[in-house]
Amino acid sequence: MNNKYQVYAGGIVGILLFTLALSALPESLNFFREEKSAMFAFTLTVIMIMLYEVRLAKSSSEDIFLRTIPGLKAVEEAVGRSTEMGRPILYVPGIMDMNEVETVAGVVVLGHVANMTAQYETELDVPVARAIVMQSARQVAKEAYMTQGRPEMYNEDMVHYVTDDQFAYAAAVNGIMQRDEPAACLYMGKFFAESLLFAETGNSIGAIQIAGTGSQTQIPFFVTACDYTLMGEEFFAASAYLSKEPELIAGITAQDIIKVLLIGFIMLAIVSRAFFDLGLTDFNLITWLNL
Amino acid sequence: MLLKRYIPVAIVAFFGALTLSAWFIDNETIETFANDDATQFFDIIAAFAVFLGALNLLKLQFIKVLKQQSEWQYSAIAIASFFFAFIIGFFIRGAYFVGEDVYFSQQAAEEAVVAMNSSETVRPVDWGAHVQTDGSLFQWMFKYIFSPLSATMFALLAFFVASASFRAFRARNLEASLLLVAGIIIMLGRVPVGSLISSWLIMYIVAFSVGFGINAYTRNRNMALGWVLGSFGLITGLGFTMGWPIDQPAIFYLPALQEWIYLVPNLAGSRAILIGIGLGIVATSLRYIFGLEKSYLGE
Repeated sequence: MNNKYQVYAGGIVGILLFTLALSALPESLNFFREEKSAMFAFTLTVIMIMLYEVRLAKSSSEDIFLRTIPGLKAVEEAVGRSTEMGRPILYVPGIMDMNEVETVAGVVVLGHVANMTAQYETELDVPVARAIVMQSARQVAKEAYMTQGRPEMYNEDMVHYVTDDQFAYAAAVNGIMQRDEPAACLYMGKFFAESLLFAETGNSIGAIQIAGTGSQTQIPFFVTACDYTLMGEEFFAASAYLSKEPELIAGITAQDIIKVLLIGFIMLAIVSRAFFDLGLTDFNLITWLNL
Repeated sequence: MLLKRYIPVAIVAFFGALTLSAWFIDNETIETFANDDATQFFDIIAAFAVFLGALNLLKLQFIKVLKQQSEWQYSAIAIASFFFAFIIGFFIRGAYFVGEDVYFSQQAAEEAVVAMNSSETVRPVDWGAHVQTDGSLFQWMFKYIFSPLSATMFALLAFFVASASFRAFRARNLEASLLLVAGIIIMLGRVPVGSLISSWLIMYIVAFSVGFGINAYTRNRNMALGWVLGSFGLITGLGFTMGWPIDQPAIFYLPALQEWIYLVPNLAGSRAILIGIGLGIVATSLRYIFGLEKSYLGE
C-alpha cells in the first residue's frame, strides 16, 4: 500500500479511537456531544487529510495535476476581450454579506481578476450590495493593483456600494450593464432570484458571461444564460486554480480523497440499510451514527 | 506585516476554531458566543458599515450630477429618493392618530378634528414605531413606491425565464434535445391537460421517435420502417388486451413520468451537486481557519 494511504488509514483509526474515548468519558468530565460523534470524526478526518496533503505539496517538487476548468480558463479570455474592445469588466460578488463563505470566495476570485485587469490595463467595475463587502473588495483590489506595480490605476470607486435591497440592487446593476455595456460580466458569489435578471441582461448586451456560485437553485439559470458556469465545488476551487499555489491545490486533492471516502461510506450505508430493511440484520449504520 | 497579515490570520483562526468547536463541545458559554454573540457582533458592525456605503453612494451620485456626466438625471433621482427616505425615516413621524384614523401631519390631524367637531385628541405615533405603523408616511412610501418597484423587478423574471428557456430548449445537440424532451414532459405532466393525454399516445410517439433515431443513425429506411410497424403493432395489440387504460403503463403516463424525472434523475443530480458544494464549503472554511488561504487579505 502507498505510504500516504497507510498514513490516512492509521489516522482514521486513531480518530475513531479518540472519538470513542471522548464518548466514554465519565459523566462529570463529559463536555463532548456524543450525538455528534460521527460529524466530529468526519471533521477531524477532513482536517487530517487536508493538512497532510498540504505538507506533501510543500515538500514535493512535482506539480499537482488539476483538470482544466473551462470557466476559469475563460476568465483571462474575458479580460483580454474587454481590453481589445476598450470596455469595462463588470464583477458582481453576490448579494450577501461576508458571513457567507460564497461571498468570501467571490471576493477572493475578485483579487485574481483585479490582478489581470491591472496587467491588461482594463477598467473594472464592482457594484456591491453590502458595505462590509465593499471594504473587503476594495482592500483585495488595491493589493492586486499594488502587486502588479500599477497603484496609479487603482481607483477606490471602482468598488462601489449600491444598496442592500435585492431587487433595487438588481435594477441598479442592470442599469449599469445597459449604460456602460461591459464586454465581460462575472458573477461570483451567493445569488438568489436576481441571478437570471443579471444573466439575461448581460446576454442581451452581448457580454461574455462567467458565473460561479454555490447557490444550488440558481445554477440552472446561470447555465442557461451564461457562457461558462462554475458549479458548486468548481467555484470554491477557483482561488486555488487561479493562484496555482501548490498549498491551495493540495486542498483540492484532499477534497477528492474525501469524496472517494464519502462514496465508499454511501455504498456501505446503502448495503447496511438494505440488509436492515430485508430483516437480515438488526444493525442500521445510519441510525447507529445518529445521521 | 504583523498588523496586516499575522493578526488578522490569527483572529480568523481563533474565532473559526472556536465557532467550529461550539458544534461539538457541550458548554453554554461557547455555544452562546457562537449562536448569539458572534452574530450580534456582526450585525452591529454591518449596521455601522451602512454609513460607509451610504456616503459612498451619495459621493458617486453627487459627482455624476455636478459633472453632468451622461444620464446624470438618474443620479439626481437617486439622491432625491435617498433624502426623501432619510428624512421621513429620521425626522418626520408621519402618523398622527385621531381615533382610528391616521394623518401624515399634525396640522392635517387637527383640521380633521375641527372638521368632524370631534372630542378626540391628536395622538402622534412613537418614534421608532412610526416606520412600521400602518398608514404612516414611511409605510405609505414602502407600500406605494418601494413594493411596486420591487415587484416590477421580480415580475421581469417571467419574461427572462421565457427568453432563457427558448435558448436552452433549442435542440442543437443530444444534451439540449434531452433537456427539451424532459422540459416538455415536466411542463405537460404538471398541468391538468397532461393527465388527459393517454399513455398509449406517448408510447406511439416514443416508438416513432426511436424509429426516426434508427433511420438517422443507420441510414437504413427499411430497418426503421420495420421497427415502427413492429412496435406500433405490438402497442396496438397490448392496448386491446389491456383495454386502453389512460394511465397504464404508468411509466408512459405524463403525470407519473414527470414525477419520476423530478424525483429520481433530477434529485440524484442535484444531490451530487449539493455534496460537492458542501465539501467545497468545508474545505474552503478549513483553508481560512488554518491560514492556508490568505487572498481575502489581499495577499
